[in-house]
Amino acid sequence: MRPKVIAMDFYANLKIWIRSKGTLFWSLAFPVILIFLFGAIFSGMDDVEYSLYVQDLDDSDMSEVFIEVLKETGVLSIESVKDDINITSYIKDENIKRLIVIPEGFGEDIKKASFDTSVTVTVSFYLDPGEQQSNQVVKSIIFSIIQNMNMNISQGRDIIKLKEVSTMTDDFNFIDFFLPGIIGMTIMQSCIYGSIERNTKYRKDGILRKLLTMPITRAEWIFAKMLFMLFLSFISSALIILVGVFVWDMTINITPFMILIIIASSFLFSGIGMIVGRFVKEEETADTAGGAIGFPMMFLAGTFWPVDQLDPVMQGIAKVLPLYYINEGLRNAMIYMNEAETIRNSVIVIVFALVFFIAGLVLTKWHED
Amino acid sequence: MVEKIVRCPECSKITTFYGNPGDCLSVTCPKCGIKGKVTFKKTVTTENVAIEVYNLKKVYGDLIAVNDISFSVNKGEVFAFLGPNGAGKTTTVEIIESIRKPTAGVIKILGKDIKTSFNQVKEKIGILPQEFHSFEKLTVRETLEYFSMFYKKRVNIDDILDVMDLRSYEKMLYKNLSGGLKQRVGVAISLVNDPDIVFLDEPSTGLDPKARREVWNVISSLRNKGKTVFLTTHYMEEAEYLADHIAVIHKGKIIAEGSLEYLLDKYGHGSLLRIKKCKDPNAVEMLKDKGFEAESEGNGNISIKIDYKDKVINVLSQLRYEGIDYDSIEIRRSNLEEVFLHLTGAKLSEENT
Ligand SMILES: Nc1ncnc2c1ncn2[C@@H]1O[C@H](COP(=O)(O)OP(=O)(O)O)[C@@H](O)[C@H]1O
Ligand SMILES: [Mg+2]
Repeated sequence: MRPKVIAMDFYANLKIWIRSKGTLFWSLAFPVILIFLFGAIFSGMDDVEYSLYVQDLDDSDMSEVFIEVLKETGVLSIESVKDDINITSYIKDENIKRLIVIPEGFGEDIKKASFDTSVTVTVSFYLDPGEQQSNQVVKSIIFSIIQNMNMNISQGRDIIKLKEVSTMTDDFNFIDFFLPGIIGMTIMQSCIYGSIERNTKYRKDGILRKLLTMPITRAEWIFAKMLFMLFLSFISSALIILVGVFVWDMTINITPFMILIIIASSFLFSGIGMIVGRFVKEEETADTAGGAIGFPMMFLAGTFWPVDQLDPVMQGIAKVLPLYYINEGLRNAMIYMNEAETIRNSVIVIVFALVFFIAGLVLTKWHED
Repeated sequence: MVEKIVRCPECSKITTFYGNPGDCLSVTCPKCGIKGKVTFKKTVTTENVAIEVYNLKKVYGDLIAVNDISFSVNKGEVFAFLGPNGAGKTTTVEIIESIRKPTAGVIKILGKDIKTSFNQVKEKIGILPQEFHSFEKLTVRETLEYFSMFYKKRVNIDDILDVMDLRSYEKMLYKNLSGGLKQRVGVAISLVNDPDIVFLDEPSTGLDPKARREVWNVISSLRNKGKTVFLTTHYMEEAEYLADHIAVIHKGKIIAEGSLEYLLDKYGHGSLLRIKKCKDPNAVEMLKDKGFEAESEGNGNISIKIDYKDKVINVLSQLRYEGIDYDSIEIRRSNLEEVFLHLTGAKLSEENT
């Protein structure tokens, strides 16, 4: 590999990119516009229903009142769980996202507490750490209800306490959820389309045929193109992050895993583009095919809203989509700082990237028939 | 096949004979009928040969796109591969350029078998693929710089711009150029490494007559610089105007090969002398009596086949001698269209529509 050739090719790509208003728009302006728009639209807005399972071990008037209040918020759909069920295995088997347990003696203890200041009652809140966004909303609802009850019973002493069975410390809002999704989406778009263009337009225009007769190796060509795609991914990501930090006052962590996921995603989607380019000859058809892959993936893989709000079938689909793991990985690496989830998603993304990029290399027709 | 040009010792007619190296053929002068022998050189010295193609075959499913063809291209000549659309020109040229793989056959470029040594040849060839379109968003100069950086040997970009008459467009984006200029840039790109052999696949297709002329001038200048040019075309005028050597390809087969003169001589009707509005109805008979191949075309027009140039004078002197008056004369040369018609029964230009 000759560094000079790669540098020159990179430079030519840069010039072409800067002069192409379309690509410039999609890779830079579009994600920024989305961040502005959606940030403004969604800040403070929430009208979705979240499921909440409730096991009432007390079954008293007081516990019924508590459940009634939860229902009246209109945001939670309450499902009751029989009191003889083992919670730990139930959550696992039924894939329950959120569940609270009202302990036995809940009503009695609250009555006692109004004269005995040493008595407290603990409501346990089990939550799935992979569902931070929705959990956050539900947690704040339950919490404010408990605050209210404490206020009414004892003028503010913490009689009823909420015990979380999963660690959730920070306070996240929609833009925190949204921004990593936009990074994933932008990388997906520019890499799929960039790679499709190289494999269909360049083929039709004879540029690939010409390259075959020139002293450039396949490795040099691929390396130069991937270098440019990485550059594009990082430029887009950096711009999106800057808007997040300076406009929406976000706390974003630039971590090695974030970088790793961005690199892997660029390879992954370039590979997908190569595969599309192999099977579709016409440039326009190829773009349509690229869109047909990119758009549904964007909506299903949790770019704009949490996947756990989709119906179970859709959730199942989401979990085979590489973009889902990119989104989750980026969120955990940049925002939630959940190390275990970051590593898990990164590994999945890297595996996807290897599979698709190698498949792309193998399937690409380097010679004509 | 090799060619040998021979002058008849009797009537001085120049004829091109074809044969295999080492062959000794008995030949007859087409004009005066005298018999003689022609010996062809034993070895084709590869020193003079740029491209050698042996028994090349390419099959696509049921279709034999290129059917067992052999030919060679000499250094410094413009070799035209002439044939209608779908004849197998691009398939052949792209196999020679190692873009496609042959079903069978051996190809050597500058003496090197491309199957094993194509990488050594890359520096020495320049190609313009059929319907080539370069990067839309690069200027002419940037385009040439881009394609030249891959090569060890590079021509100064300013020199190419001057030679190709592209100087005034160097800052224009490729996408804004006219069709003719795009093709000129395409040819210029194929020259950035100062190649010995230039492959041009239908360089003037789709251009208007003026732009086509410009491309022709460029190709002529390549020959003048001593480059070997492998040109494919379906325009017979292009082959007539540019080529030193023409191979006519039809349905994957080379059906005729040689210099323009040879092809016209062998397959054309020769030149025709037309006597317009001849005043004597017996003129045709008189000319036939004198041994000329004369025919009446109606309206008093007579056409006489001319197979050597003095014949024109002979015909005209005969007419004057007999005191036969006429309005005017016209000499029509045979062309490749007629050669193609003769060989295939079809018109080249019609096969392309
Ligand atoms: N990749 C291919 N697959 C199938 N058939 C092909 C392919 N390329 C060319 N052909 C066929 O081979 C024949 C010769 O084509 P081509 O070499 O392009 O002709 P030309 O360049 O003389 O117009 C045509 O009939 C064409 O349809
Ligand atoms: Mg062709």
